[in-house]
Amino acid sequence: MTISSQTSTHNISHISVTGRLDQSQVKALEAAIQHAIEQEGNNIIVDLSDTNYINSGGLRCLVTGWRNAKQQHHNLVLCGLNSRLQEIFEMVGFDQVFTIYSNPDSAIDKLA
Amino acid sequence: MGDQNVLTVNGLYKNIKSVCKFVAEGARNAGFNEDDTFRIELACDEACTNIIEHAYGGENKGSIRAEWSATPSYFVILLHDNGRSFNPSKIPNPPEKPQNIDDLKIGGLGLHFIKKIMDDVAFTFGESGNTLTMKKKR
Repeated sequence: MTISSQTSTHNISHISVTGRLDQSQVKALEAAIQHAIEQEGNNIIVDLSDTNYINSGGLRCLVTGWRNAKQQHHNLVLCGLNSRLQEIFEMVGFDQVFTIYSNPDSAIDKLA
Repeated sequence: MGDQNVLTVNGLYKNIKSVCKFVAEGARNAGFNEDDTFRIELACDEACTNIIEHAYGGENKGSIRAEWSATPSYFVILLHDNGRSFNPSKIPNPPEKPQNIDDLKIGGLGLHFIKKIMDDVAFTFGESGNTLTMKKKR
């Protein structure tokens, strides 16, 4: 379980979450999103391609991150949800309100 | 009653995974496939998180006793704690179809997941503590 982030040539911050997105990773993800908000670019991709689990704590973290990003005129999008994560998002309607791309490449294509 | 198993852990977030793993093993034994077992683990995770956050008001303030059993009709999970009781009817359901993230209510998500995943959910509160009973049809 790790969080890694990098800034691409298009000034897009790319945050990858590996493993479980639950209470054990929430603080690290919050810090990574905050760091991205402080960067020059205004687009943030949270890449869940290698995330195999999310619970309500992880979802709350994404909502808070989105709101903080918006306040600073940043755009936070998600990508790479597997079918189990997709189902969890659907159970609470989060699939309808987040901008979600199927993979990081399509997210970068749209945002660049 | 069929098979029955019990596990008691200290109320720490890092111990939730052990409870989920223990319950998942029971679910597999009861014949659930990996997708259903994953959902049951999520319900169990949310229930344990609620115990730590709301019943105990933080980590390391009490224990969680998990128990599973399998009857011919149901897989049954009991989670017991000695923390504060609460009125589950006062926890608002998040909107089924939120319109945007600004309006999203992020409280009560855990209970919402539990109710969505399990077929029967009941809380009992007494002098000996609180018990959450969750049943999933086999």
